[in-house]
Amino acid sequence: MVNSNGFRQGMGIAFKLGLEMAVATALGGFIGYGADQILGTKPWGLVVGIVLGSAGGMLNVYRAAMQMTKELEEEEKKTDNPQDTDEQN
Amino acid sequence: MDSPLHHFELHPIIPISVMGVDLSINKAILAMWIGCALVFGLFMLAGKKGGSVVPSKLQSIFEIAMEFIQGMVEEFIGKEEGKKYFSFIASLFIFILTCNLIGLIPGSYTITSQLAVTGAFAFGIFILTLVIGFAKHGMHFLSILVPPGVPKIMIPLMVPIEIISMLARPISLSVRLFANMTAGHTVLAVLFGLAMSASIWIGWMPFGFTVIINGLEIAIAFIQAYIFTTLTCVYIGDVIKLH
Repeated sequence: MVNSNGFRQGMGIAFKLGLEMAVATALGGFIGYGADQILGTKPWGLVVGIVLGSAGGMLNVYRAAMQMTKELEEEEKKTDNPQDTDEQN
Repeated sequence: MDSPLHHFELHPIIPISVMGVDLSINKAILAMWIGCALVFGLFMLAGKKGGSVVPSKLQSIFEIAMEFIQGMVEEFIGKEEGKKYFSFIASLFIFILTCNLIGLIPGSYTITSQLAVTGAFAFGIFILTLVIGFAKHGMHFLSILVPPGVPKIMIPLMVPIEIISMLARPISLSVRLFANMTAGHTVLAVLFGLAMSASIWIGWMPFGFTVIINGLEIAIAFIQAYIFTTLTCVYIGDVIKLH
């Protein structure tokens, strides 16, 4: 149905990955900023928060990318197999 | 001239206030009810008499959709475990898809363009994954915060990173659906505003674009519903398999 089309699949990947990093970095920054406000450790909470947040974002993107390459490899295996001719794009 | 974001504003149609809490009926709630009624009605129609062996046109559409969702659930959650969550995932997919498509009818309302709605979905899914994790693995579930193969010195660094990346998932899940629907409808509103404010000699051009982008929006409605449910499956599957 939806994933049968290469163009639409590509759009899906683009939409999926773009946000992950931005959201995690922003979240880490917010947590750090909140910690600063409560603990009074002015710049350091924000700094540590953004660093940890961007690391978390990269982790999310890395995992999503790994998932996608796994899917792609499986699809390639399917197309290599001459018996599976009913799965056309 | 109205702002292009004007049609996202909600005004109460029937004001209801229970003990100071605003429970007014507005366009979004009406659209949601229509969505529910449409899904329920179509499924009752498709599955009446328990479904026939030779399916009617409507029944075969729904059978294809269900098989598609089943494939997705089995791939990401697992064959045996997936059966428990199939009905949840299927309702989620069909409901979000219906709401996205209802919003494309001029004059109606896209409830998925409200962050409150998508946020509630994502927050519910986040709580669900936590509940499944703790119910299935008990306290051992906390080991999801430590990726496999991490040296002991790195653990104090990895735990906060994992916590942030876990908390970021429901946010990105909800923002993605909300932003895509809002952006698409804003583009449509801008183009339509251009078409209305120009004379007919030039106005046909933005109007033509409106028609084309409406077609693109139909594709996006499918893609976003698909992505939302796939990611839900991935998150549930992660929690069940624990690495």
